[in-house]
Amino acid sequence: MKALKINNVEKTFGKVKVLKGIDLEIEPGQFLILVGPSGCGKSTLLNMIAGLESVTNGNISIGDRDVTHLDPKDRDIAMVFQSYALYPNMTVRENISFGLEIRKTPKAEKQAIVDKVSKMLQIEPLLDRKPKQLSGGQRQRVAMGRALARDPSIFLFDEPLSNLDAKLRVEMRSEIKELHQRVGTTIVYVTHDQIEAMTLGDVIAVMKDGEIQQFGSPQEIYDNPKNQFIAGFMGSPSMNFIPCQIEKVDDSMQIALESGGVQHLLPIKQNIAGLGSYAGKKIVLGIRPEQITEQGEAKADSAMVSCAVEIIEPTGPDTLITVRINGVKTVCRIHPTAHCQLDKPMPLLFDMSKVVFFDSDSEQRIY
Amino acid sequence: MSISRVLIYSLLLFAAMFYLLPLVVMLITSLKDLNEIRSGTLLSLPQSLNFDAWGKAWGTACTGVSCEGLKGYFWNSVLIVVPAVVISTVLGALNGYVLTKWKFKGSNLFFGMLLIGTMIPFQVVLLPMARTLGFLGLAGTTSGLILVHIVYGLAFTTLFFRNYYISIPNELVNAARIDGAGFWLIFRRIILPVSTPIIVVSVIWQFTQIWNDFLFGVVYSAGGDQPITVALNNLVNTSTGVKEYNVDMAAAIIAALPTLLVYVVAGKYFVRGLTAGAVKG
Repeated sequence: MKALKINNVEKTFGKVKVLKGIDLEIEPGQFLILVGPSGCGKSTLLNMIAGLESVTNGNISIGDRDVTHLDPKDRDIAMVFQSYALYPNMTVRENISFGLEIRKTPKAEKQAIVDKVSKMLQIEPLLDRKPKQLSGGQRQRVAMGRALARDPSIFLFDEPLSNLDAKLRVEMRSEIKELHQRVGTTIVYVTHDQIEAMTLGDVIAVMKDGEIQQFGSPQEIYDNPKNQFIAGFMGSPSMNFIPCQIEKVDDSMQIALESGGVQHLLPIKQNIAGLGSYAGKKIVLGIRPEQITEQGEAKADSAMVSCAVEIIEPTGPDTLITVRINGVKTVCRIHPTAHCQLDKPMPLLFDMSKVVFFDSDSEQRIY
Repeated sequence: MSISRVLIYSLLLFAAMFYLLPLVVMLITSLKDLNEIRSGTLLSLPQSLNFDAWGKAWGTACTGVSCEGLKGYFWNSVLIVVPAVVISTVLGALNGYVLTKWKFKGSNLFFGMLLIGTMIPFQVVLLPMARTLGFLGLAGTTSGLILVHIVYGLAFTTLFFRNYYISIPNELVNAARIDGAGFWLIFRRIILPVSTPIIVVSVIWQFTQIWNDFLFGVVYSAGGDQPITVALNNLVNTSTGVKEYNVDMAAAIIAALPTLLVYVVAGKYFVRGLTAGAVKG
């Protein structure tokens, strides 16, 4: 039995197709992230799982029930909204127990649930306050408490952290993760923030233009993006995309990198069968900032390139430097103690074992 | 206190006096007897507090052929205003709720047509409404007049509530739907409790409109069922030789008193409600 099964779901508003056939399945207890830029259809998909939007085509099952045409209240879900959507006229206690009251839960049981939930979220002292007397983080907790009190088979989160300031966001992020580890309920979580996606998710669905671009574990998506959009969207700072010529020299493939007027030929030791047909053509090299580091002990599959440093940005644990390779700005992550100077050439070590290549027209990965 | 403050306060004081003067003259005149009125000036104060004119206006003044004062008509007005205000406000709230939170195909067009309703002058609907009341068998009855006021007021109350509810986030309704609440429960438990300011606006607006209405009252009601505005007109126009200015003034104040009271009691909500939603708070 799958916790959630979405089968070829489509959604059209008038003539616009906002979801073009979504298919996905998750196991009970998994934390699914729907991530993508705004307008990609991720919130629409969440609302359709919740039953707040109708499904144009296809069907949705929760557990072993087809819920495609059920009312939100009959789907056994709970939802946390971006604006928290706490009932302004009710106290925190009433907010948490409103759903229980409608379901005619006996008084004693209701009391026990409110106690348990408020203890878990540490909001006991706030129970008699009204939402407007709470801070952003407290409102967020109450909204989660309201969802928890329902004890549903799936929690839905719609960008719950985007209204919080940066520090609180990081705190609440780990609280949500901890909560998930504790209660173990299936979660579907919508966000546009790729860090939230990476840190929270068991599985991530990267969406764009109403389609799922890639579905997999965070590490899988980070290491093996299917196309240039996913590669650029996941990871901060983004992956560098360097257009370069690929040549066949003897039996191995080499790419040409130029920096500061000096040409370098870097051999590709990875076995990528698809590259064969690109010999002599332009392709896009995808390399993450942490794969370009200061000179150190040379690894098996790495190459040294000397580049002029254009920008230096210390972040504390690392220093980001920007160099120009093949005419494009390229970000590298080096150790803060590494010696680098503005406008001076610096030898940098390219780790070629994890680089990826994309077709320069279709932007699809070359395998 | 700076010069500009002094200027501002004196200007405000002058404006207040300018607007209050007619009321003062009416009040003074209503407390004089006819001799004082004839011999004194408009602004000369009464020699004693003489409420005879008030008693006459309330209980014995002639409005046309009957001489029972305004009291019966005052209660007529109350009987018309209370149901008309309550029903048009409740329906307006429901309309606003549906037009913002349960939109249907064509709901914007529907709202647009309702908006036109706020621009139709009273005179335009007189004849069609008379036909309608006749068709419904309500011609010349209090219920008929109440119906006219409800229908005419609905465009306004819907506009008020719709514009207020549009600033209530839809997520609130969605959260309640997921919690298991239906159409009526959401309205009663989530929407109505936050509607106080706009309810006050609607009540004040409808109360003043209906209480002060003369045209619908004179057209659609007859004889002893007429509202106080019509009776006031009859009282002032009924001449029995001498023109009793003091009684006329007392009657006019009696007729205006309820609206005055409503503004004094709920005025601050009125301003707050009218500006609600303009600035997000």
